[in-house]
Amino acid sequence: MPIMENLSDPAVQPKPRRSIAGKTFDVLSGFGLATILLLLLGLLTWFATLEQIDKGLYATLNKYFHWKSVFLLPEIKGKIVPLPLLGGYWAGALLLLNLMLGGVIRIRKGWKHVGNLISHLGIIFMLVAGGVAHHFSERGNMAVGEGETSNAAEDYFEYVVEVAEIKSGKPDLIHVIRGRDLVDLTDGASRLFKFPNLPFDLEIAGYQNHAIPVGISERAPTLGERDAGGYYLMGKPDEINAEANTAGCYARVVHRDGTKAEPFILAGASFHPFTVRHEDRVFTVDMRKRLWPMPFTLKLDEFTAAFHPGTMKPSKFVSKVTRLENGSEAKVTIQMNEPMRYEGLTFFQASYGPPGSGPGQRMYSVFEVVKNPADKWPEYSLYIVAFGMLVTFLTKFGGYLASSSRKNRHV
Amino acid sequence: MNRLTTHLFACLALISSCEERKEVVVKETRAATTRDVSPKLSATSDERFRDAKPSPVKGETPDGWLALPATQLRLLNYRFGESGMGEVWVSISSGSVLDNVNRWFNQFGAEPVDGVGLEKLRSVSIAGTSGTWVEVVGEYASGMGSVPKSGFALAGVVASVDGRILTVKMVGPKDEVAAAKPILENFAKSLKIVE
Repeated sequence: MPIMENLSDPAVQPKPRRSIAGKTFDVLSGFGLATILLLLLGLLTWFATLEQIDKGLYATLNKYFHWKSVFLLPEIKGKIVPLPLLGGYWAGALLLLNLMLGGVIRIRKGWKHVGNLISHLGIIFMLVAGGVAHHFSERGNMAVGEGETSNAAEDYFEYVVEVAEIKSGKPDLIHVIRGRDLVDLTDGASRLFKFPNLPFDLEIAGYQNHAIPVGISERAPTLGERDAGGYYLMGKPDEINAEANTAGCYARVVHRDGTKAEPFILAGASFHPFTVRHEDRVFTVDMRKRLWPMPFTLKLDEFTAAFHPGTMKPSKFVSKVTRLENGSEAKVTIQMNEPMRYEGLTFFQASYGPPGSGPGQRMYSVFEVVKNPADKWPEYSLYIVAFGMLVTFLTKFGGYLASSSRKNRHV
Repeated sequence: MNRLTTHLFACLALISSCEERKEVVVKETRAATTRDVSPKLSATSDERFRDAKPSPVKGETPDGWLALPATQLRLLNYRFGESGMGEVWVSISSGSVLDNVNRWFNQFGAEPVDGVGLEKLRSVSIAGTSGTWVEVVGEYASGMGSVPKSGFALAGVVASVDGRILTVKMVGPKDEVAAAKPILENFAKSLKIVE
């Protein structure tokens, strides 16, 4: 905290004998801890930037900045760096505590220091925004073809299992088993998923983060993988681009009388769902990336892309869309750096397709959809910090003018 | 003592809460969206897991090769040779020509090549352009946890076609691969991108 004032100067405050609690408070609120944490955050960012080249962005961000990562060892070009580092989330949390104790509670009070206090509060607000975004934000993407509509975004990474009853050829209410309940079902672990409103339950096991179904006749299993309908799940190393992973698992229907049907494969890399028939009812069971229903429908009216001459570097992507909601329509233009913000959701222009498409070809536009309660908080925090610095400048400047005026009077 | 007992119970409660959950009641639901089209019901395993779209690469199946259904990784898929272990497949891969050549070398434990080494490899015709011919013999470990196979060989072609990496890979017992190399070269020449 460059603007926090030095309080350890004995000339400013006499140094009483400190208790353990007092010493702890001094450490937690001190400049030393702030300096170490800021250096640590810089180091984490540097290592993460290097490591993501080999390990991919998603895996590296999780390793360095997820709350579950308390300590980590950097890995550069496949070699472990023997330097245990505190995880970025916890470094940020400690910095927040340090700022609250040192920059708000311990700081000298008075109108001369009100600017510093405001700036510190602005930085605290920024750190809180980071925490809120970490825990509560959602991200997905929505691809819409010209003239088509969409009312759902798709999660980038999370695979779920969905069970739906088919009525009149279409899925009715869809039951969703979230990825967090699946990812630990490795190494022989299994779990029974109970559906109170359906005539059967599902037992799921053998989850793999990245796997493809392979026919037994095409390539014999080499690791004792189980046969399910002539196929087995062949595990693959995670892709550097984690979005390209296709999860898979084995499932079986458990009837109400406790009997179990033959196992079948659920895979992100499948083209059709598995069908379950119960008396005259029909259900589908499928694995897919989690769909995220939107509170409105988006229609892509027109998409245009412009490139810098002679390159594939985009100069402009523009999506003209109609937002349809409760019978009303609103025309909106979404383009690079000009997202659509509506009902707590932000639609960014992300990409387009098909790849390499040219003029006259029917195109689709891809939006990144973000739901982040702290969406604008970093911007607001910057305003607060800037205002605090302005107040500090004005109070110092005012003090200087006043002291100059006093000196002139004495002369 | 009372405090110790309380702490013990608290620890036990904490540990039991971390136990593996054997059952979960599914409560989360969602309404159907525009992404939820009418599903194909009662699809077979082949229909569920094999891409029914026509392959973007076409080729003339050589005599004696057995054409197998395409898979997600193999746009064209064949078996050859008397042992039944010879395989040929055509894929669109990611990375560069050099990446793919070295990936193949790595599967046989061979030293990777650099850009200069790549230039020295033979060029052959493939899908109307020229590609890099790769040969390597030794113990084949395809990765993905499979058991290495000794006495194997690889012959194949890697080419950059319209910004995509097209690969034709033949793997099998070394004698069978040696005998089939001329056929493979003609097969690579016959390939056409139809998409």
